[in-house]
Amino acid sequence: MKTQFLRTLRRLGFLFLAATAPVAIGGAGWSAPAQAEEAALKGGTLRVAVLSDLTNFDPQQFSTVNFHLIKNLYDSLIEYTPEGEAVPSLATAWTIAPDNQSVTVTLRDDVTFHSGAKLTSADVAATLAKAADPERGKNVYATMSIVKDWATPDDQTIAINFKAPVPQRQITDLLQFTIPIEAKGIDTVETVPAGTGAYLLESRAVGQGLTLKANPNYWRKGQPIAEKVDFTIFSEDSSASAALESGAIDLVYGGSSRSAVRLQDAGFQVLRGPGPLVQVFRMNSTRGPFQNAKFRQAFNYLMDREGMLRVGYAGLGEVVALPWAPASPAYDAAYGAEFGYDLDKAKELFAASGLTPEEQSNWKMLVWGNDEPSVVLSQIAQSALAEIGINIELDVRQGAEYTEAQLAGDYDATFGAVGNVQKFPSRVATNSIYRVVKNPVLKDPHPHPEYVDAINRVNTTSGPDADVKAAYDHLNRVLVETSFAVPINSYDTGLVVAAPNLGGLSLDIDNLFVARTVGFQ
Amino acid sequence: MSRFLRKTLSILARLMASKGSALALIFLATITLLAVFADFLPLNPVAQKLANALKGPSATNWFGTDELGRDILARVVFGARTSLLTAGGAVAIAALAGVPIGLVAGFFGGWRDAALMRFVDVLLALPAILFAMAMIAVLGRSQAAALIAVGLTGIPSFARITRAQVLTLRKRDFVTAVEAFGGTATYNMFRTILPNSWSPIFVQVVVLCSVAILLEAALSFLGVGVPPPTPSWGEMLRTGKSYLHEAPYYAVLPGIVLTLTILSFDVLGRALSGLLEGRRDAVVAPKAEEVTS
Repeated sequence: MKTQFLRTLRRLGFLFLAATAPVAIGGAGWSAPAQAEEAALKGGTLRVAVLSDLTNFDPQQFSTVNFHLIKNLYDSLIEYTPEGEAVPSLATAWTIAPDNQSVTVTLRDDVTFHSGAKLTSADVAATLAKAADPERGKNVYATMSIVKDWATPDDQTIAINFKAPVPQRQITDLLQFTIPIEAKGIDTVETVPAGTGAYLLESRAVGQGLTLKANPNYWRKGQPIAEKVDFTIFSEDSSASAALESGAIDLVYGGSSRSAVRLQDAGFQVLRGPGPLVQVFRMNSTRGPFQNAKFRQAFNYLMDREGMLRVGYAGLGEVVALPWAPASPAYDAAYGAEFGYDLDKAKELFAASGLTPEEQSNWKMLVWGNDEPSVVLSQIAQSALAEIGINIELDVRQGAEYTEAQLAGDYDATFGAVGNVQKFPSRVATNSIYRVVKNPVLKDPHPHPEYVDAINRVNTTSGPDADVKAAYDHLNRVLVETSFAVPINSYDTGLVVAAPNLGGLSLDIDNLFVARTVGFQ
Repeated sequence: MSRFLRKTLSILARLMASKGSALALIFLATITLLAVFADFLPLNPVAQKLANALKGPSATNWFGTDELGRDILARVVFGARTSLLTAGGAVAIAALAGVPIGLVAGFFGGWRDAALMRFVDVLLALPAILFAMAMIAVLGRSQAAALIAVGLTGIPSFARITRAQVLTLRKRDFVTAVEAFGGTATYNMFRTILPNSWSPIFVQVVVLCSVAILLEAALSFLGVGVPPPTPSWGEMLRTGKSYLHEAPYYAVLPGIVLTLTILSFDVLGRALSGLLEGRRDAVVAPKAEEVTS
């Protein structure tokens, strides 16, 4: 009885605090933390649980395991609001030429790097040079394919020229993706952060966590609010949740959807960002039965997307048949209805492939054993295949063993998430399976030239609107026809679950963790 | 009735006379029968019903359902097959390799003893779980790999127990007598010494069964055991722990079955050890007619 009473009391308290919190709970909406509210927030040490260690401090290695750090150690040239509107950050202005073949960016003049050196256009130029290098550019390299060259007329100005007219959204995507690294620290950035961000690296214990301290010279006035941010790495999502419930930490970043739903019911704040990932069934169309288009297309109907979303992600997300989030200009909900779960249709397509039952079963599904949703989704797909007589084995691999196989394209088929699905459509080509050149899975020359052409058409169509829409529609149709990757559902990456006494939680377009606005109420 | 059968029945009767060992024996017999005849039961461990995911125990699903709507009872029963098969296979590998090693080392002594025992020491020095994981990394993840890996980790215990037994028997008069009558070393090892060494080896079989089941469960728990969707108790614990808040029965029920199985093997091994070594306190004292029959 006493326990029940205390629980009710605690929930009432949580509800009150949650109602007064400046962020929407459960992703029902978003509002930027107002200055007045920020001023009311108190500093202190923010204790954050994350579920994996970072790879390194290079902001161009834009991997989900680095998401908790990038926007705290670095700033972008511009930012997007959650609705996708471009707003200034390190750049105060950007002017796109009337022919869409260049953009001139003006930098703030009051920004310093963590070393104390002033941010200049030379640093941005060095960052662009790294990004354009196929070896050093990492995840930004593909985005740089539109860039011809750049010039720095003065310390605060950089002009970027494009190879051909580029749609406006693609230009702002490039600026948002450009995170200046200090020129003199660019060669050591993997081990020593060299950014302008709101926090400085204080210490790191590999595999255990790291501590950031506030940057006293940060250019955004009144930020950061918390003097320190302690990141602790938890190997288990449930342990991180338990730590939050016990008060040992203040916030869990990047936990599972299932835990978030449970903790939300218990009165904690859950923040869902505008930059979800899309889970995609990736098929190596250069191998075995996947060389057959009909065989691949059958998977569009084989996947019980609703069931997968419910079981794998506690229903937090949307079922999709295309690799776009709703914020993407190419998003088309009609495809979701067209490619619903239909085993009979899948069976027809498998039969129409002309492959023998042995050929259809002659492959393995690579599974990321550490990722619970991937294991669940793979088993659902395996069971659906078995129902129509295709019996395959799961090749479950853990950690680095899986990552290595996935990045090297050494698999027949696997589930894997793709990002950048809320931006300009061709940005999807930053994901390995969707790359148009140097695709580690499909190799060069690309086995689906119609897809490469469709991406090029999107990249080169800057108007009028009807032509742009036609280019997007064409890309969507090519994606489902080639079917080398079958999207299943969008889901939240970088979910934030916070204690009720935290305020100022802000959303990032890529769901990166932004600590500078967070404080205690 | 053959002498072996009579002796077996006598041992069984003595085990059944003790409440602890009788319960262990009955539990293990039930689990074994369920595992062997699981195909004839109205249970399907892989049939998914997503709409029925994580439902609590009910008349239809006595142990509830897992995250894919599969019947947990069915997975526990078929998981018993995985565990017992791995344990049986592993013990067979360990005994078939370990006993001859111990026999040869103990019987011949000298450099052969030194070489074989150093090899055994190396195996013994490697932590079983790490060694098994390394083996699986080489062989790939499958039930056969788990079985071989667990089996290899059991070799040292059989080798050392057999060697110790051989050393105590080697200088006994009946062994010397066989040698004096021209018995070869092979004859002496396998026909004279080995039949008199069965008791501790048999006890070790039972003990290693529990170790093998635990090791297989640990490997599955760590995600390197039997691949899904094949049911395994360790894999159920691994997945079930993520659902402890929503569905505590998911991890708890397979955990209880695993615990009881290991406990039963342990109780049985202890009882057998006492019985075969002639300790009267191991089980209740046999009746007079059982002793004389």
